[in-house]
Amino acid sequence: MNDTVLQTRGLTKYYDSTPAVDHLDLEIPRGCICGFVGRNGAGKTTAIKLMLGLLEPTAGSASLLGCDSSALTPAIRQRIGYVAEGHRLFRWMTIGALERFQRAFFPKQWDDKLFREMIEYFDLPKKKKIKHLSNGQRAQVSLALALAPNPELLIMDDPTLGLDAAIRRQFLEGMIELIMRQGRTILFSSHILGDVERVSDRIIVIDKGVLRANCSLEQFQRAIRKVVLSFSGDVPGQVDIEGLLHCKRGDKQLELTLVGADDEKVAALAKSIRAETYNVVTMNLEDQFIEFTAPANHKRLFQWEER
Amino acid sequence: MKFAALFGKEFRECLPWMLLAAIVLLAFGSFFLRAQAYDMNPNRDWSRGYNPPGTAVEAYRLTFNSPLAMLGPWLFCCSIGLGLILGARQFWIPNFTRTWPFLLHRSARRTTILTAKLTAGSTALVLAIGGVWVSLYWYACQLEVFTVPPPARVFIHGWILVIMGLLTYLGTALSGLSEARWYTTKIFGIAFAVIIVGVTTGEWSLARALAVIAFGAALLLSQLFDTFATREF
Repeated sequence: MNDTVLQTRGLTKYYDSTPAVDHLDLEIPRGCICGFVGRNGAGKTTAIKLMLGLLEPTAGSASLLGCDSSALTPAIRQRIGYVAEGHRLFRWMTIGALERFQRAFFPKQWDDKLFREMIEYFDLPKKKKIKHLSNGQRAQVSLALALAPNPELLIMDDPTLGLDAAIRRQFLEGMIELIMRQGRTILFSSHILGDVERVSDRIIVIDKGVLRANCSLEQFQRAIRKVVLSFSGDVPGQVDIEGLLHCKRGDKQLELTLVGADDEKVAALAKSIRAETYNVVTMNLEDQFIEFTAPANHKRLFQWEER
Repeated sequence: MKFAALFGKEFRECLPWMLLAAIVLLAFGSFFLRAQAYDMNPNRDWSRGYNPPGTAVEAYRLTFNSPLAMLGPWLFCCSIGLGLILGARQFWIPNFTRTWPFLLHRSARRTTILTAKLTAGSTALVLAIGGVWVSLYWYACQLEVFTVPPPARVFIHGWILVIMGLLTYLGTALSGLSEARWYTTKIFGIAFAVIIVGVTTGEWSLARALAVIAFGAALLLSQLFDTFATREF
């Protein structure tokens, strides 16, 4: 059995002359929960649509479960669940009608028990029309519809967008429920780094269409570090270190954000620039992501004058 | 099973518009025919100089100027109108509601999905307009309504108008699928359908009219399948 469920090679998409996805090379192994993160307009939705064959790539290719995305057969699509951005479902249908509609495409693999349990768990009224459901309820219906056919690969485009914390938690629990089944893989894009931190074991970071990171969550969290160096004298004007992301100078301090600098490298750096002390600041995933994707010369929105 | 599910969903979306068009056409058509029948009722007061029914003059008028044929403009408007509405409902609205990805990512080929859509839309149009037309023709054929039944050519010409609605439906569908800007090639589908309808309307020969319709429908269908297979959603 092939252990790579999703692969892209130089996947590129241009809208006019603007690159939405730029030479994306990805490999996602079977059985992981993969958080796909990026800022607004980073190209997450475009990349997902390219992977699913809903958009035509300008260059490169993608394959899902060993089949080229541009020619996904019904048999392969049957093995892939997809939750589209915004949970756009047929508004005039009731949950029951939508279930019957969806089940017709998965006659053998539809797990009726799972669907019923999820609907009961989320406390969704089956006779209610989609247009009368709240955002959160529509998200829950989307998830139930995507999970009930037991997909080998579940791709979700910002599934928790607009949901409150409690419903998001329920949603994520549903995802974990799926991954508990052996061999299932989930790729989900999100803006909420807390969610990614809670459930993912792998992270993909995309920025302006370019892949910035594709590794295990643990590796990513280990790799991004912020170090505050204190000086008794003048702060050095230039710091030359591999993997330097940002450098912020204070009166007697130097704040560095580094990629891939281990304890030894940091100690060596502190020694080489004659820092009196140094302190490695603990960051959560959100802080790490912001530091990692912020442009080098980023400015604060409001610059208050100090009095 | 998959086709049935797709067809059912599409037909259900067309149903309200189909019923509305059928009710409007049936209500107006039956009212008009009843009024015409009353006009020719032998028990009415003929002292105002009309030709009483059963006379040679009245029979002549009914043969060449059937009251059913006078419904032509109404039938034309309802057919074209319903074609426009169904095309918009099935191929424009999903662009705004953004339900294309949900519909397309399923274990069915795009051609199956499109065939189900077109079959459902065409069935709805033919049932609504064609069904009502058959009913009105049957009503007009009753001897107690008109002394001379409408000629068969009126019935056939009515069906040509129904098919014009189908052409408009296909043209609207093609325009809905087009990703071009509205003022450029996006309107090609509707414009082409309008041209074909115009040419057919001015064509006196039934065979030539059918040939023009067949040409138009074949071109629109080939464009629709090609666009749907290659379009980005």
